[in-house]
Amino acid sequence: MSEKSMIQALNQALHQVMASHAEVYCLGEDIGKMGGDFSVTRGLLEKFGAERVRDTPLSEAAIIGTAVGSAMLGMRPVAEIMIADFMTTCFDQIVNSAAKMHYMFDGQFRAPIVIRAATGGGIGAGPHHSQSVESWFLSVPGLVIVAPSNAYDAKGLLIASILDDNPIIFLEHKALYGTKSKVPEEWYTVPLGRASVIRRGSDVTVVASMKMVHEALAAADELAARGIEAEIIDLRTLRPWDKKTVLDSVAKTQRAVVATETPLMGSLASEVSVVIFEELFSRLVSPVARVGAKDAPIPTAPILEREILPDRADIVAAVTALMADRQPEGVAHA
Amino acid sequence: MAKIARKTLLKLYEDMLLVRGFEQCLEDQHRRGNVPGLLHTGLGQEATLAAIAHALRPTDCFFPDHRCHGLCLLAGSPGEKLMAEIMGRATGVCGGRGGSMHLADKNVGNFGGNVVEGAMMATCLGPALAWKLRGEKNLSAVVIGDGTVGRGEFNESLNLASTWKLPVLYCMVNNQYAISTHVTEAHPTANMSEIAAGYQLRTAMVDGNDVMAAAEIALQAADYVRSGEGPFFLEFHTYRWQGIFSGDIRDPEEVRRWKQDLDPIRRARSTILGDGLASEDQLSALQAKVAAKVDEWLDFALQSPPPDPSTALDHVYASMEVFAP
Repeated sequence: MSEKSMIQALNQALHQVMASHAEVYCLGEDIGKMGGDFSVTRGLLEKFGAERVRDTPLSEAAIIGTAVGSAMLGMRPVAEIMIADFMTTCFDQIVNSAAKMHYMFDGQFRAPIVIRAATGGGIGAGPHHSQSVESWFLSVPGLVIVAPSNAYDAKGLLIASILDDNPIIFLEHKALYGTKSKVPEEWYTVPLGRASVIRRGSDVTVVASMKMVHEALAAADELAARGIEAEIIDLRTLRPWDKKTVLDSVAKTQRAVVATETPLMGSLASEVSVVIFEELFSRLVSPVARVGAKDAPIPTAPILEREILPDRADIVAAVTALMADRQPEGVAHA
Repeated sequence: MAKIARKTLLKLYEDMLLVRGFEQCLEDQHRRGNVPGLLHTGLGQEATLAAIAHALRPTDCFFPDHRCHGLCLLAGSPGEKLMAEIMGRATGVCGGRGGSMHLADKNVGNFGGNVVEGAMMATCLGPALAWKLRGEKNLSAVVIGDGTVGRGEFNESLNLASTWKLPVLYCMVNNQYAISTHVTEAHPTANMSEIAAGYQLRTAMVDGNDVMAAAEIALQAADYVRSGEGPFFLEFHTYRWQGIFSGDIRDPEEVRRWKQDLDPIRRARSTILGDGLASEDQLSALQAKVAAKVDEWLDFALQSPPPDPSTALDHVYASMEVFAP
């Protein structure tokens, strides 16, 4: 099994699904000749031709509208919205058309589309190319939001997403595109809606997704050196999220930190935290803590961006505060 | 050039009567509190709706706007199931989930109403592309209004359909008002096809209250689109009878003229009688037949149960595999 970057893993997933499923096609801006802004669709045009790999004008609403309408006739489109921030310009198609169609027409039509979008900050791309957009879509029934943290999951989740019958927003974190992991050459799926416990620990549960998973892993190493064992859960699917895996873990550790790259108001961190409170209140030995971005747009200058975005230090600080009852006296918490 | 036989006028006339009877019945039921929410009718626009329906084939698909009960009916959905849907009953075409503005019926190619103006201009591209990819000679029709021209999707849709030569039939129902705003207050011209023409696609304008003229050009436009040459933008000039919720801001003389002098049904009737296609008695019998049908549909709807509240969560997701056990 070879090491692949997330870009290579996603690219292989698209190649394999397009080869086996004639109803799958791709559309988006610069996905053909250029192979995508991040090279995820590289080689598809040469392999599958311009009918199935369609470069579009700068028309996000038309891209998603085309995807939805063709899915009503049994196609399985994979639409690329180059930068997740641009989803504002096709919000209506996603929220009012794709997400509601199966419901409002009483099951007559399905919209099995996958909307791939590069999301997240950390690369100095500024206020319109760095946002984490999942909060915008969390309160939309009918949508599925998938968000891998590594190359292996990215491939398996993308294949599963394309074959699923729901409309799916598939978030690809820009800062993770180059990260590598072992990825099998053959076709496989990773189940949607299932979180993954990626590090075992008994003292505190850290729930995260995408880049925050890596921040949590780094934080866990630091905490372990201080004798605190963190259990880390990678949600992988953000809507619907895997309550059972999260609650089973917190029932054991009795402490939880929920980390997200978005601002905290109306975020997945807030939602997961509240559910933990509701379900496990009497079992908790400390309040659930949230880690997220500061309440501001994402500035371009790296030093400012670092100030806004959450990182491993914020997770370490949050865990340290939760563990205060176990700290020797005199240790300051964040 | 597609020509319509004169006797087809009788069929179109009956279609228009059906639409008017259906809508008037619903207006009455709405006043009685039997129709939940908002009711937008196609009263006054019957000729345009009949013409569009006449041009569609069962293998085509169409996206109806919020004044398209009549098109859904003429496309072949059972009248009783449409009426039940609009009245929020379990027996409706969408089980009561869609209502007046979201009628859909896959069986007749009705791909469903999305009444955020402009949205369907984007969605209608999809079936058109799917058919093009599969080599099927069907068309995707979308009903839009003059107000829709203000939306960004108007540009995105015409631009893409024209560039990709997609089989889309744009049915522009220019009824001159977007709620209270007159077309000339919102756009640089009163003719929306002049704006569309800039996208290098075929356009035409027709008197949307002249059912024969409208049906003829709609057939021609549909044939052109199915031939694979590209999209067609067909503009019908018409007028809606219904005012707005808080009253009618339109000039009463203008409303009177459209409801009387330019009424599409009155005009068709005068042609039918003038050309001797049918007698007064025959037309009265036709009117009675239509009224009886509408009464039957209403009875069905009124006798239908409301949806079962225990089904309110059904169909939110098309596949439940995304939920962890």
